[in-house]
Amino acid sequence: MKSENPLALRATPLIRGAGAFIVLAGAAFFMGDYHNDVYRKLLLWVTLALGYNFLFGVCGQVAFSHFAFYGIGAYSIVIFLFQLHLPFPLAAICGIALCIAFALAVAIPSTRLEGFYLALVTLALGQLFIVVLNEGGTVTGGTGGIANYRLPEIYGLRLRGPWYTAVIALLVVATYAVLVRLDRSWFGRACRAVRDNPEAAAAMGVDVARTKVIAFTLTSVLAGIGGMVYAFVDNTVNPPIFGIENAFLLLFMVIVGGAGRHAGAVIGAVLLFLLPFWLSPLVGHHHALVFGVLVVAAILLEPRGLIGIYDRVADRYKGSPSR
Amino acid sequence: MSALLEVRGLTKRFGGLTAVHDLDFEVREGEILGVIGPNGAGKSTTFNLIAGTYAATAGDVRFAGEPILGLAPHRIAARGVMRTFQHNRPFAGMPVIDNVLVGAHTRFGATLWSVVLGRSRAEEARRRERAAELVQFVGLGELARADVTTLSFGQGRLLEIARALAGEPRLILFDEPAAGLTAAECARLAEIIRGIAARSIAVLLIEHDMHFLLPLAHRVVVLNFGAKIADGLPAEVRTHPAVMDAYLGSHAAH
Ligand SMILES: Nc1ncnc2c1ncn2[C@@H]1O[C@H](COP(=O)(O)OP(=O)(O)OP(=O)(O)O)[C@@H](O)[C@H]1O
Ligand SMILES: [Mg+2]
Repeated sequence: MKSENPLALRATPLIRGAGAFIVLAGAAFFMGDYHNDVYRKLLLWVTLALGYNFLFGVCGQVAFSHFAFYGIGAYSIVIFLFQLHLPFPLAAICGIALCIAFALAVAIPSTRLEGFYLALVTLALGQLFIVVLNEGGTVTGGTGGIANYRLPEIYGLRLRGPWYTAVIALLVVATYAVLVRLDRSWFGRACRAVRDNPEAAAAMGVDVARTKVIAFTLTSVLAGIGGMVYAFVDNTVNPPIFGIENAFLLLFMVIVGGAGRHAGAVIGAVLLFLLPFWLSPLVGHHHALVFGVLVVAAILLEPRGLIGIYDRVADRYKGSPSR
Repeated sequence: MSALLEVRGLTKRFGGLTAVHDLDFEVREGEILGVIGPNGAGKSTTFNLIAGTYAATAGDVRFAGEPILGLAPHRIAARGVMRTFQHNRPFAGMPVIDNVLVGAHTRFGATLWSVVLGRSRAEEARRRERAAELVQFVGLGELARADVTTLSFGQGRLLEIARALAGEPRLILFDEPAAGLTAAECARLAEIIRGIAARSIAVLLIEHDMHFLLPLAHRVVVLNFGAKIADGLPAEVRTHPAVMDAYLGSHAAH
């Protein structure tokens, strides 16, 4: 498929992906420690928003467990590496397996019932996860979490400073590429069909329950992988990060950016992540209020989000409707 | 030649209401079987039973010799039974062509893994081309990239048909496809339906408009209160006393 955007480079996806990676990773080498830290978290939010957008925006499933899976990934890699002393690749595989097991356990029973049920179950999972972390004794480190560990050498590589930021840049680009490919395939259309009209989707041959379970498991695993990467950003994992508040912030990012659109998820994540940095000097801790206003404004004025506004402007210059 | 679809003793009760009662009929390849009956006669319910949307109370439905009653709707679609809905049910967040591609869902062979690795592009391109032909075939060629929410009602009816055809059905169920269409659109639709039957696809066609249905159908089944009250050639059914009574009588009462 040729890109319809006149500004897009006519390059193969591989070249575009490599270019995006070089730019995103390269930027890290021009930043100090503080900005590298902020930048890494920004990239992680973008990854999370991309995955959550696929689940919520593309597949229409309202779930609040994304940060729980982020946490399962983060805690499991740390526990497997430093308490069970597994080698790195095995620890990563076990962490992913754990995410898959939890995702299936949540998705299979709840997708059989109607949509609202998934929201409730994942809300409960999100809360329960925090309780387990807090009460987990020496395994999870309780309210203080786990600290004082370092990323081990992986195949002799010591990834530090901007080099670790480059790993996160790779994660963003790979996540984007995988999700865009899925979206432009029969699977992505099936997800959108399930979102738009499940009964018609079934009549067209789409296995609605299976599609939902796959989308949920896949995006939950992506969140888990993000969590594994996050575990070595702060070199500490503790419960508040993985709570329900961040799950709501993720939902806001996707809605403000434009649900169902990958570029929208990126824009929403970047904007809402950076907003507190700009707003704090002006309004102190009241930036949550600004978020609320933004979300309500997006829903009322432009349900397609910021990307919807961009589309309208672009259409005016191009004269043809885009998807 | 044996029938492609055989319906025997099909019954559906909603609580105390018997919507379909002990229904028997069959459809052969390339045949257009009309289904008529007054409002609430059980026509759409019959479709929903065949397509697996509703669970039957009793009876047997065989497609290509195999029982399909009790299978999930997506499995029945995968076997080659596609349908349109009485009320348009587009996928509102997708352009016309993508709606049609959803209809081809069961015809894709690429695994998720090959999609992720980018190895499914050729199949995707081929299917997209085929979907574009179908959009052309039903007369929506200009609108392939349009947002479905911008379609008129009649264009939405045509989209339902293109989407059902994309599944490469052996049997297609049309639920009042002509309702709400202009005379010109009706003529075009009759053309399309003849074209479909000519490709030896079996067609089940629910229609209220006798002027539309009778010249088109090869045979007609008449339902009233869920039961079959007559069947036969269009000319026979038209003059059947029970039909005049039940069907035309009820229409005269409006
Ligand atoms: N899901 C349902 N639950 C309860 N009753 C139903 C349901 N679906 C249909 N019915 C009832 O079954 C009967 C047959 O309905 P059906 O929709 O099959 O009629 P129809 O022949 O398609 O009529 P129309 O020409 O108005 O489309 C009606 O009395 C209807 O109210
Ligand atoms: Mg009906």
